[in-house]
Amino acid sequence: MFGLPGQGMHFRADPITIFFLCVLIPQVIAAAIAGMRGSLSFWVFVLGMGLTLLAADAFTLVFGFELMSAASWLLVLRGDAKPAPLYIGIGLFSGACLIPAVFLSPGNIAFALILLGAGAKAGLAPLHFWLPRAHPAPPAGVSAVMSGGMVKVALYVIIRYGFVVFGNAVAPWWGEALVIAGAASVLLGSFWSFLEPELKTMLAYSTVEHVGLIAVGLGLALHAKALGDPALAALALQAALFCILAHGLFKPLLFLGAGAVKTATGTSSLNALGGLMRGMPRLGALMLVGAAGMAALPFGAGFAPEFLLLHSAFAAAASGGIVARIGFTALLVILGVAAALSLSAVIRLIGLGFLGRPRSLHVAAAEDAPRAVLGAIALLGILCALVGLLPGLVLLGLNPVVVELVPGAEPPSLAYAPLLLLCLGLVPIGLIYVLFRRFAVRGTREVPAWNGGFGRPPAWLPFGDPFTQPSGAGFSEPVRRAMGRGILTPGGGDWSVSYLYAPALRLQEQLTRLAEYVRRATVRQRLAFVLGSLVLALFVLGLAGGR
Amino acid sequence: MLAILAALFATLLHLAMIMLLAPMVSGIVAKLRARLQGRRGPPWHQPYLDLRRLLHKTTLIPENATELYQLWPYIAFGAITAAVLLIPSFCTGLITAPISDFISFIGLLALARAAVLLAGLETGFGFGAAGAARDVLFGIFSEAALLVVVLTFVLIAHSPTIDGVSVAFRDHQIGLSVSLGFALVALLSVALTETGRMPSDNPAGHLELAMVHEAMILEYSGRLLFLFQYAAMLRLTMWMTLIGAVFLPFGVGRAESLLSWPLGILLWGGKMVFLASTLAGFEIFNAKMRVFRVPEFLGLALLLGMLSSIFLFVAARLGV
Repeated sequence: MFGLPGQGMHFRADPITIFFLCVLIPQVIAAAIAGMRGSLSFWVFVLGMGLTLLAADAFTLVFGFELMSAASWLLVLRGDAKPAPLYIGIGLFSGACLIPAVFLSPGNIAFALILLGAGAKAGLAPLHFWLPRAHPAPPAGVSAVMSGGMVKVALYVIIRYGFVVFGNAVAPWWGEALVIAGAASVLLGSFWSFLEPELKTMLAYSTVEHVGLIAVGLGLALHAKALGDPALAALALQAALFCILAHGLFKPLLFLGAGAVKTATGTSSLNALGGLMRGMPRLGALMLVGAAGMAALPFGAGFAPEFLLLHSAFAAAASGGIVARIGFTALLVILGVAAALSLSAVIRLIGLGFLGRPRSLHVAAAEDAPRAVLGAIALLGILCALVGLLPGLVLLGLNPVVVELVPGAEPPSLAYAPLLLLCLGLVPIGLIYVLFRRFAVRGTREVPAWNGGFGRPPAWLPFGDPFTQPSGAGFSEPVRRAMGRGILTPGGGDWSVSYLYAPALRLQEQLTRLAEYVRRATVRQRLAFVLGSLVLALFVLGLAGGR
Repeated sequence: MLAILAALFATLLHLAMIMLLAPMVSGIVAKLRARLQGRRGPPWHQPYLDLRRLLHKTTLIPENATELYQLWPYIAFGAITAAVLLIPSFCTGLITAPISDFISFIGLLALARAAVLLAGLETGFGFGAAGAARDVLFGIFSEAALLVVVLTFVLIAHSPTIDGVSVAFRDHQIGLSVSLGFALVALLSVALTETGRMPSDNPAGHLELAMVHEAMILEYSGRLLFLFQYAAMLRLTMWMTLIGAVFLPFGVGRAESLLSWPLGILLWGGKMVFLASTLAGFEIFNAKMRVFRVPEFLGLALLLGMLSSIFLFVAARLGV
């Protein structure tokens, strides 16, 4: 009924598709519970993602992908119209790259187009500048599915084409390109997420980082596959797929939480929040679960992927040519810096937003989110905790996908055992608890904070002077000062904005001016143009005929 | 079965020894440092007295702290002790050997750091936050440097676990190499920063403005402060044990042969005293750096860590 004439639409459900559907379903359910179930565009958006994943032919895949782009554009437009033109522009760009790519024969050009098209949609550097503007614009439920689901669908296209459809034409540079783009995304995303004071924008930058981590894993796997090292390919794929799963749980959670904060306080800037844990204790506890995942802390959902990724970087640096090995060592440095930066970003989010003192009466009077939103977040939180504590089981579920993508690989088992580590930590805490029961003075007393001996704040400042509490920008100032020179442009901006987005914008302006000039041409100018081109054509013909 | 029992017993002995002796290591460092400066200094058992005093103090909670205020010290303490359990001290083959992966170890340190940072941000006053912002800056460089140093160890020992690296360095002739020299310097720089010692932080400082680690726990008192102080002592002993296990692996026993334990314990004590006196000597010859000089110091460590791996690649290429 639909599809190309005479061919129709074809669907399939192999392990790869099923895995991505499993990633998608919890966040869609959570977003629907949290308030998106009445929106038709939202369901069209979800339908587009589902079609892309289930597609068995190129037409259906592109159709689903474009449906997803168009529906999400409507959703962005509804939230904040300002980034919508940029968003649809990127959508058109990725469509323009993908449509020829899927119909080309497998090869380098086809993969480069896939990488450009799907990479732009996933927010891979240097085409990431639109993501932190567009993702925070729509309502929280949509932001959640865009960050947690839509970028995964774009990565699915890269996986489907890079590993399966073009699997036999694979060249080593495909993986290297993915690793380089991924490493740049990881560094820029984590750095900016530490600098950015807006909650949702900060989370969107963190999405850029996690997309980068996934791309690094996929790139290592493609590289290893092209060089015939299935063991490393399996390890790196495990890392990438696990990261897709974990990020699909904790990022929607954090986005929904940021939306709840905005609803409760009217602001989502870290410069205005503070002490939310008192007014919103249940939301705060759930945010802690998500934040542990985002920071890749042990026992959180994000640690196992980070663990696998670092081990695959170790393995990649252990063999190969000397330049590649030095490159992988540098990659390891970037991963280490980025892991610490994303931990710091999470500390800033929790420490300045949820701990400390309220900075305004609105924030002080915040009440916990409505029950539906809390339920949606709790659903994701429980899944996050399960994934964080039982990564071995998750990996067992991932292994069929790994085998499907790298035939003949034997996926290794996980050397990280969170439950055992938890026991190791709990035994000494138990000993100390016994010591405290036996010898320590019991009970606590509430007193004014000591604050280095400074006096109590005056009565008209019930929470103390807000300016003695660091702002979002103030907290990241030391890092900005120490590292900004290398990572930011001299003016303190993003490289991709200054050297890619701004020139593109200028070019568009010039083209518009040219088109406007043509449109406004007088009759005399038009006639002159027509006659001039006629004379030119005759002249050229005459030259050709005279020979 | 017997081997597992021996490993379990060795692990418990390891935990008990480190938990009981960690304050003494701090005391010895302080005492030696005072002596080298020509002062008499506190007695070596002063940290025990300090800890006992804290047990007898009331725990005060600031008004504007949240419910989680009491949770952070437990998380920091638990993460540090779990990390302690992963490192072989007097014998290898502890029951934790299979899960003693370096990445898990780094993750546990990050967890402890996160708990201390959040504790510093609890009350929302300037000192804690300033300390946290500085610690974040140090952490970014030290984590990356630690990762590349670990890469060197993993490449030399062909094992990703702390236990495996210690066994490889003890049993195989690794020999002295430029790589390991660079890795040692880098690891020492990271350890000094992570334990809040002299070039980056002053553990004996009393000026709130200049503090890093102490500023974050400024508001804590009583048994909660006990946990933080004790965790800091354990952290120092843990880093010394790690450096001993990797760079001074001689005489480390095996968990399955009970007869090798006494020598291992004696040598471990000797290594601790040696490292403590080195630390004290290093500290009296160095002044605390400005905060923005520390990234340069750690950047150097990062560079040395990378160089140690690159030297390995070059050596492998040349077939040395």
